[in-house]
Amino acid sequence: MAGNGDEPAVSARGLSKSFGRLRALNDLSVDIPRGVTYCLLGPNGSGKTTFIRAIVGLLSLDGGDLRVLGEPVARVKEIYSRIGYMTQHKALYPDLTLQENMEFFAGLYGIERSESWRRITRLLEMVNLQEHRNRLAGDLSGGMYQRLSLACTLIHEPELLLLDEPTVGIDPRLRQTFWEYFDLLTRQGKTVLITTHLMDEAEKCKIVGYMRSGKMAAVGSPEEIKRLAGLRPCLELWLKELEKDAAQLRAEGYELQICKGVVQLRLESPEQIKRVLAEVTPLDMRLKEPTLEEAFLRLSEAS
Amino acid sequence: MRLLDLSRVSVVALRVVRQLKRDRRTIGLITFAPILLMILFGYALSGEMSGVSLGLVDYGGHAVLKSHLEGIKDFNILYLGSESDAEKQVYEGRLNGAVILRPGEVRVLLDATSLQISNAIQAAVEAGASGERASFQKGPENIVVMRYIFGYDLEMMDTVGPAILGLVVFFFTFINAAISFIRERSQGTLEKFMVSPLSRVEMVSGYVLGFSLFTLLQSTTTLLVVTIGFGVPMRGNPLTALAVVLLLGAGALVLGSFFSNFARSEFQVVQFIPLIITPQIVLCGVWWPLQSVPEFIRPISYILPLTYASDALRAVMLKGASITDILYPDLLALSTFFLFFFVAATLMLRREVA
Ligand SMILES: Nc1ncnc2c1ncn2[C@@H]1O[C@H](COP(=O)(O)OP(=O)(O)O)[C@@H](O)[C@H]1O
Ligand SMILES: [Mg+2]
Repeated sequence: MAGNGDEPAVSARGLSKSFGRLRALNDLSVDIPRGVTYCLLGPNGSGKTTFIRAIVGLLSLDGGDLRVLGEPVARVKEIYSRIGYMTQHKALYPDLTLQENMEFFAGLYGIERSESWRRITRLLEMVNLQEHRNRLAGDLSGGMYQRLSLACTLIHEPELLLLDEPTVGIDPRLRQTFWEYFDLLTRQGKTVLITTHLMDEAEKCKIVGYMRSGKMAAVGSPEEIKRLAGLRPCLELWLKELEKDAAQLRAEGYELQICKGVVQLRLESPEQIKRVLAEVTPLDMRLKEPTLEEAFLRLSEAS
Repeated sequence: MRLLDLSRVSVVALRVVRQLKRDRRTIGLITFAPILLMILFGYALSGEMSGVSLGLVDYGGHAVLKSHLEGIKDFNILYLGSESDAEKQVYEGRLNGAVILRPGEVRVLLDATSLQISNAIQAAVEAGASGERASFQKGPENIVVMRYIFGYDLEMMDTVGPAILGLVVFFFTFINAAISFIRERSQGTLEKFMVSPLSRVEMVSGYVLGFSLFTLLQSTTTLLVVTIGFGVPMRGNPLTALAVVLLLGAGALVLGSFFSNFARSEFQVVQFIPLIITPQIVLCGVWWPLQSVPEFIRPISYILPLTYASDALRAVMLKGASITDILYPDLLALSTFFLFFFVAATLMLRREVA
């Protein structure tokens, strides 16, 4: 198989794609390294699906250079057996049973019967649908349908997984299972690219690429992005004499705001906590890490 | 290299069969539609065919024979303008026979498929001719020429039966294929296919294979209904008839796949019926002969697959034609139709949906 194993799983340079006057991809450049969970985060319409469809060659680009698993995108169809693509529109046959749906996709990838039975069992367990194996997919609830779609995408154990909003409508506990499974996959050297518009999902990824209007607005680990946005942890203090203590802290030069009777204080460094406690004695206190949401809010305000 | 992998083709075929199998309405349609249509068309159209219908072309010279024939109660005499017209009508099974009167010559056209009736006609003409000789002492040199035409059986059912077989298969396959492909598109599975090792040729081939298995089942039941239930003869090899139907079904499938690109919903497929199905019914030459279709419309008849399929099926079932007899033009036309739309359907499954 051609292609250098050290190359990123996906490497994009200056991608552009317009639909009429709308620029869905606007000079998009990004590297998605191998063996990580990479989250493509961005509001609806920011071009996440368009980017994924470009990666699998479903879209002809207006310009730019795109390489997938070391191959130029023009030759991506030769490595389709190494790619798993879960469409945003959950692609399944409602008039087939779960077993039949999975068997069908296994067959397309030339997986032999006994092996495919084994994988189907394992994946249905992972998505917690094993007791529905012989039900029609059309009778499943929305979340179950979604899970089956994910299981079908994983059946040929692809090296590069492209999951377009895979966790919409899935309960938090099962979501946790998914993330554990994705971690397992990355430990096996597989690459998982996930799109989402949910911040808390992004927090769990190794790298987050924040897309806005067809561009990468920020890329990095969740911590890096928060730092990039200039966000610091926040110390929340419950004080007995709110007004007096707050005034005292302000006088010391701390940056703070009062929200619903709680003093929120931005920390420059962890050592500051001690110094604050020397000034006041709070009834209770809590250290709050900044969220990605705040970071992106800050970033988009800045741009 | 990855153009046609048979195991992938069969994976698609298996899936198509599973889906069709689960569709109760389709199963019902397959079984009952031919029966219903046979009753509808067969009985309704054959009702008027009682008695012996005899064509008469009078170029003069046989007043006695003519009035003798007119006097026979069981005969419905139809006056025709030309011999070729008479020949055609006997061939089409509209007439049981025809008598052409010319000075000095009497020609009798008989339908060889119904011996009893042709014997009756023959006897009547002989009787009339001898009566004529008796009234003129001179005894004119009346040559009576008998000609047998291998026409269709009298019953309308027989003419209609083979065509109904073709029609039901075509209709069912076209609609189902178009709907299936629209679903593939709208439920997103087409996009998934595009990103799998399955090629477009394999996908369409898988559909052809899957539907063919179904067509085989359907046409076997229809054949049984038509031959055993309605007594339509099967003079040729039933396998040849099935081959014709399979080829027609494959053509309908790729046509359906091709047209699915022009419909946005399953509902819109219904709107193709007047466009695709009705012309075939009207112009395929079953209910009335192609020769009676106005000349400027006739070219359309000659591009419609059902025209060739019903012609071939009639030849096999009623005349006992072998596969080589129907190679040209029928099988050739059906194969060309299939290949043309196979390529068209494959090309229309574009990778880029945008
Ligand atoms: N096939 C298409 N034709 C026209 N516009 C499209 C097409 N696909 C996407 N778009 C537009 O491109 C923009 C980006 O869409 P998309 O990539 O689906 O966003 P996201 O997945 O981030 O929500 C949207 O404004 C969308 O309407
Ligand atoms: Mg999207």
